[in-house]
Amino acid sequence: MRRETQNILLVLLGGALLKISFSGLYLRYVQKSLLPLLIAAGVIMIGLALFAIVQDIRRGKAESEHDHDHSHSSRSTWLMLLPVLAVFLISPPALGGDVVNSAADTNQTQRSRNLLGELPSGDVIPLSMTEFVTRTAWDESGTLDGRRVKLTGFLLRAEGQTYAARLAISCCAADARPLKVRLGGDVPSLPDEQWVEITGQVVPKSANEQNSWVPSFTVESFTSVPEPVEPYES
Amino acid sequence: MTITGEIRSSKRRSGGPRLKITSLEVLCGILVLALLFQSRLVDLLDVPKLRTASTVFVAICVQAMPFLVLGVLISGAIAAFVPASALRRLLPSKTALAVPVAGVAGVALPGCECASVPVAKRLMQQGVAPAVALTFLLAAPAVNPIVLVSTAVAFNDTPMMVVARFAGSLLTAMVMGWLWVRFGKMEWIAERALARMADHTGRSKWAVFAESARHDLVDAGGFLVLGGLFAAAFKTFVPVAWMQTLGGQIVLGVIVMALLAVILALCSEADAFVAVAFSALPLLPRLVFLVVGPAVDVKLIALQAGAFGKSFAFRFAPATFVVAILCAVVSGVVLL
Repeated sequence: MRRETQNILLVLLGGALLKISFSGLYLRYVQKSLLPLLIAAGVIMIGLALFAIVQDIRRGKAESEHDHDHSHSSRSTWLMLLPVLAVFLISPPALGGDVVNSAADTNQTQRSRNLLGELPSGDVIPLSMTEFVTRTAWDESGTLDGRRVKLTGFLLRAEGQTYAARLAISCCAADARPLKVRLGGDVPSLPDEQWVEITGQVVPKSANEQNSWVPSFTVESFTSVPEPVEPYES
Repeated sequence: MTITGEIRSSKRRSGGPRLKITSLEVLCGILVLALLFQSRLVDLLDVPKLRTASTVFVAICVQAMPFLVLGVLISGAIAAFVPASALRRLLPSKTALAVPVAGVAGVALPGCECASVPVAKRLMQQGVAPAVALTFLLAAPAVNPIVLVSTAVAFNDTPMMVVARFAGSLLTAMVMGWLWVRFGKMEWIAERALARMADHTGRSKWAVFAESARHDLVDAGGFLVLGGLFAAAFKTFVPVAWMQTLGGQIVLGVIVMALLAVILALCSEADAFVAVAFSALPLLPRLVFLVVGPAVDVKLIALQAGAFGKSFAFRFAPATFVVAILCAVVSGVVLL
């Protein structure tokens, strides 16, 4: 591959990283904390390419011939075009129902000391899906029983049941862990993958090992909402 | 570097017929075609499984790129600012003794496996013995503080997991280093990996730094993408639901988790969170998952084949796989 082509590819790839960073689309792929690193990586890629282009122009091509005396074909470099095309043309969506349905490890949460503290007071408590599922699985004192909570997730139907689901990531979408809650009561009759905010109460002691820790939730009211800017919990 | 042939051919071309297609025209052609058929392309990928695969693919690339950039910057800095003699003075002269030093030095590279491949290659080019560079390559992604902290967070119920992971990974790296001292052959490593940088007299150190980093990035970037493609395909199309049923079968569990670590190619900073989710399995298979993952996975094999050549990667990767399983089991039996 020509050196000029390599540099253009680097600029494109760096540009793709900056594009998803500044448009917020990076949250579909990686965790929020990676943002500074993504921007730095994009800027450095473009910088290295521009530096090489400027040097080549200043030196003139004939001279640079003497600097490099070993060559090998680098066809693999062409592959760098794939993420560029994927980001600019396809812009893959955030992971959704497909991952939750095929997952082996739904609602695997961890007992964690700081998570099982007192619930805040108030009529409706907004909770992350992670915290809700963790409490239903681990908290035997039943702090959630009788409390009205608000969850955000997308709808999913499987085996005649309706679920509200959400994915949590710790690094990137490749390590997504699915979380889901079985819905009862006023079940939203909206299409699958529609994001909703649901308010209601947990059915006490409904999460157990037999149902892979999927708690039941009695929906009292729901509103459909657009996909959150941060589609994953962390 | 790759440009020699290109420039010669461009010189030749200037005298001859002008209608020769170079990579530049090919690139423009691909871009125009992709733009023209964009909507067709999007429709084609509008199948749940393919959508998931494309998201995972982009996620792996996006997640790994900053660490690859970090790796090539360190590699460039070594090329420009660290003379080979300084490295020689730093390391014990006997290779067998330098191996453990390199293993422990891995603690200092805070990144995942993508960063360590270009650095290890550069160390070899600067005259560090391959065994020592390879030990560093295997140790760095597994024993650095970021990885250990994330393991501790994930396994907050079983803190010994962190110790066992550290011991297992360090042992793997050192055993591989010593095995290379005993059995390794230089001719397995592609010549281009060992070729010293051309003499850069007359160029500023910063220019050497930038050019080395750029060259490494272009070289490794494609292989990283290749690894991401494989990992996304495996992650999406290999069903893992039956894994939870392995339960108590410990030997089978160890083998399956080791294979899973290879095909999932998770970042070493995140794999602990995935391992903790396999709660139906005992701790030992999950430790094997954590020790094998940073040492050998499809993304790393692609990167290694790119950096050191195919004949190296096809020997090194299976050997590392076996050694990593054994070291993880030893470490797990002693510590867990």
